[in-house]
Amino acid sequence: MNMQTAAPLAARSSTATPGGAPIIDVQNLVKVYKGGRGRTEEVRAVQELSFAVKEGEFFGFLGPNGSGKSTTIKVITTLLQKTSGSVTVAGYDVDRDPDAIRRLIGYTGQAIGVDGELTGRENLMLIGRFYHMGGAHLRRQVDELLTVLQLTEAAERRANTYSGGMRRRLDLGAGLVHHPRVLFLDEPTTGLDPATRNGVWEHLRRMHRTEGMTVFLTTQYMEEADQLCERLAIIDKGKIVAEGTPSALKADIGADVVTVRLPRVDNFDVVRGQAQNAAQKVSGVKQVIPFDTGVTIHATNAGATLLEVLKVLDAENIPVQEVAISRPTLDEVFLKHTGRAMKIEEVKPQNMMMRRRGRG
Amino acid sequence: MTTMTETRVVSQAAPVHGSAFAEIWWVAYRSLLRVVRSPMALFFSLMMPLIWLVMFSQSFGNLFQRGAVAPGGPALPYDFVAVMLPATIVMTAIQSASQSGFGMVADIESGFMDKFFVSPMRRSSVLLGKLLADGIRMGIQALLILTIAFVLTLVAGWRIPFATNVVGVVMIAVLAALFGVAFSGLSNTVALRTKSTEATMMASFSLTFPLLFMSTAMLPKALLPGWVQSVSTFNPVSYLADAARALIISGYDWTLIGKALVAIAIVGAILNGMAISAFRAQGK
Repeated sequence: MNMQTAAPLAARSSTATPGGAPIIDVQNLVKVYKGGRGRTEEVRAVQELSFAVKEGEFFGFLGPNGSGKSTTIKVITTLLQKTSGSVTVAGYDVDRDPDAIRRLIGYTGQAIGVDGELTGRENLMLIGRFYHMGGAHLRRQVDELLTVLQLTEAAERRANTYSGGMRRRLDLGAGLVHHPRVLFLDEPTTGLDPATRNGVWEHLRRMHRTEGMTVFLTTQYMEEADQLCERLAIIDKGKIVAEGTPSALKADIGADVVTVRLPRVDNFDVVRGQAQNAAQKVSGVKQVIPFDTGVTIHATNAGATLLEVLKVLDAENIPVQEVAISRPTLDEVFLKHTGRAMKIEEVKPQNMMMRRRGRG
Repeated sequence: MTTMTETRVVSQAAPVHGSAFAEIWWVAYRSLLRVVRSPMALFFSLMMPLIWLVMFSQSFGNLFQRGAVAPGGPALPYDFVAVMLPATIVMTAIQSASQSGFGMVADIESGFMDKFFVSPMRRSSVLLGKLLADGIRMGIQALLILTIAFVLTLVAGWRIPFATNVVGVVMIAVLAALFGVAFSGLSNTVALRTKSTEATMMASFSLTFPLLFMSTAMLPKALLPGWVQSVSTFNPVSYLADAARALIISGYDWTLIGKALVAIAIVGAILNGMAISAFRAQGK
């Protein structure tokens, strides 16, 4: 059993990819699933995707369910074979050098893959063994992780007695035992309640700050992407529709946002259509986008526009339930680039947990 | 609250591969730890075989003694349970092998399989480690059944010769474990291809009894109907049962043991070959 010694800080910069080349480089990635009857139907999960992540960056993929986030992360982490395109991590090709990549990366999947029959400590020790670690080094590493993840007290308990948040933290630890250079997180907080989610964010931020590792996260939560990611790509239907820092993406809207909610009436769609047409005519309005309970108006001067819009709506006898002015959020960014509001398909956390508990 | 600032971080790719033996061991260790953690599962896996052993030997024992086997001949020096014992061992091995795939499906569903696959371990180590753990579990099951049967010969007066003593008992357990590992290739293949516990269960349940009754496990070949005799010749279960029965009733029969090993090797090569290719197809 070879012992893996933690590399000193100096060694890291010397092995950083030369010339500031990206640590993750994806070019024209295509993944086609064969599905349906007789496996003849083709589902294009990812279409001609290209992006790069710099070493040390906290990068995110924001998109709804089925947008191709998980597929992309699985291809980069060597869990899934791509159809075409080129994918490298630290210069290693996923097809030619998967083992080299596996030694460099950590992965925390959507499913919490901890073994419920094993204790928290046993889970982490075991993952260390999978990375050919052992001895005092592994024990010290696991001790430290348990401390950082605030699981020391629960360390000797079976993981199937843990709460959802604790299991998530343990799973995060499983991705960190071998000190990966790049950490991949596939929807790390899906199914968690807001308080637990905040706790996980706290841990992720601290890891990134103190460890300086590159983090690639996928999420369907606007807030999560906004809070954590230094740079993000918005992905929809297997394509990147926008890319940049969260603030740049929001600034790109170039306007304030006026949200007009309409009352639930029988001919809601007609009324919303009327409201959209009416608002469009107001000067200073850049764009009007309908969503499920009303319309969102992008305007250069929200205050003045709001008054005008209300006047126009009143003149046309369109009832208004609620109006609000806000700075643009990633919701508006998504809406602008895809033409629809992002729907979050929430998995019922309780059920998911019950299901997972039994299997561990 | 300590932070991780002083331990450095980002490690380099481990220059040396860990040994395959270590990898296989740690995969097996995890599976065995799961067995130890739920001893009730092991306990209940023995219920069915023991009920079989008792019920069949009691119900049909008289029929057997009163000359169904050798009409008019002298009474046999052993009870029907001595015939049922190897059959029960074989049945347990088949059933355990059928359950091998359940663990595979559970690991895929829980996401633990991804932990294996994203690590630099050899893919073969994952499968071999699981098979090693399965083999050990099946061997222990067989030993427990044989031990209980031995205790009952002392306590309840069952007449089982145990012609080859402890060595023979261990040999039976090893044969049963090897057969179980070979046969688990089927349930693992179904599990990996369908990723469904239900499909895996149906595939194996539907096979257990035909395999058992169309072999020489329950009755000597001469008493089987003609067409079943032909089937039993190609049924690997027959060879395992014959070897085990000889070890219990008459003594070492190296020809039968050799045939059993060949049958196990053939079954193992075919079924585990299928399992390996199903395993390699994961993530494609």
